[in-house]
Amino acid sequence: MKCRVCRGPAVIDVRRHNAAFCPDHFVTHCREQVRRAITDHHMIDPEHRIVVAVSGGKDSLALWDLLVGLDYQPDGVYLGLGIGEYSNDSLDHARAYATDRGVTLHEVDLAAEQGFTIPAAAAATHRAPCGACGLSKRHLLNRFALEHHYDTVATGHNLDDEAAVLLGNVLRWETEYLARQHPVLPATTGFARRIKPLVRLGERETAAYCVIRGIDYQVDECPMAAGNRHLHYKDVLNRLEQRSPGSKAAFFHGFLDHAHDRFADHPDGDDTGAHLGRCTECGAPTTTDVCAFCRLRHRATSRP
Amino acid sequence: MRVLLRNPRRELDVDGPITVAALLQRLDLNPESVLVIAGDELVARDARLDDTTTVEIRPVISGGEGPRP
Repeated sequence: MKCRVCRGPAVIDVRRHNAAFCPDHFVTHCREQVRRAITDHHMIDPEHRIVVAVSGGKDSLALWDLLVGLDYQPDGVYLGLGIGEYSNDSLDHARAYATDRGVTLHEVDLAAEQGFTIPAAAAATHRAPCGACGLSKRHLLNRFALEHHYDTVATGHNLDDEAAVLLGNVLRWETEYLARQHPVLPATTGFARRIKPLVRLGERETAAYCVIRGIDYQVDECPMAAGNRHLHYKDVLNRLEQRSPGSKAAFFHGFLDHAHDRFADHPDGDDTGAHLGRCTECGAPTTTDVCAFCRLRHRATSRP
Repeated sequence: MRVLLRNPRRELDVDGPITVAALLQRLDLNPESVLVIAGDELVARDARLDDTTTVEIRPVISGGEGPRP
């Protein structure tokens, strides 16, 4: 297998592009895909301050490295979720990257700042931990960005993530989520701008990028995610991809090109924030008196 | 050759030489969901792995709730 660009020995193939790459040209390929995603979706204003949501995993560290490689100057923020050794190891990976590359990493600790951990929240609510985790990340990362005057939060959601979520949303016709599934969510009152510059890269590519760039990331899977629905959708899509390379990209980017606008008139697709009130406890935008995150915190911190 | 698998972590002995593609097929692994690393280097599907190589098969699938707007 030879590199599509230089004809030297290839180390990775990207079947949906019918291409293989040597290490150097694979890095170039990844940067080009991110550059194109940023340009096509008008993700970044040169004046904006960007913070990358860093988990210590392959996607967020690859994203941080790719943005730096494209001459942006993002900082990183790590949210400690309190998932035992897994969280400790993840933080070590994030810190090591920041130290090695001389970039700024902020740290937010869920237990220290809010008095609970994700395992505690899952136990208190008797629901899957991934829901509490996602809610906490969205709320606290947004709040961090606003309080520290970052205009944009960049997340490491990749093509596989987006295709799997799209599959779940379509299977259940979640029109509210379909209206808002987009690589850019503009800033509105109470919300920082959110961007997903990795939507043109699969997670096999982000992992390979980290290996080639010498980025030591958290390889182990989150112990609380095992068996969840999102992983099942990814498995289904990878079986399709194996038989028909390009299926995931055609599915997700086809949705953006041909179908996303059809859901945009959903009332919950209103991204102006005009229909939202304020949480009586934390001031976050919400449709109820107390926002979902504060309700979660109450349940997770109340004694049984 | 020694083959390291992850999530859960375990090790196997597999007879070489064998190509990466054949190794993944033998282990019933989807090439879309893993990377193969020999020593410290990524190796492509047609690479030939000999008996003395130590190989890591690294899963690339991350879980979680997935992105919500």
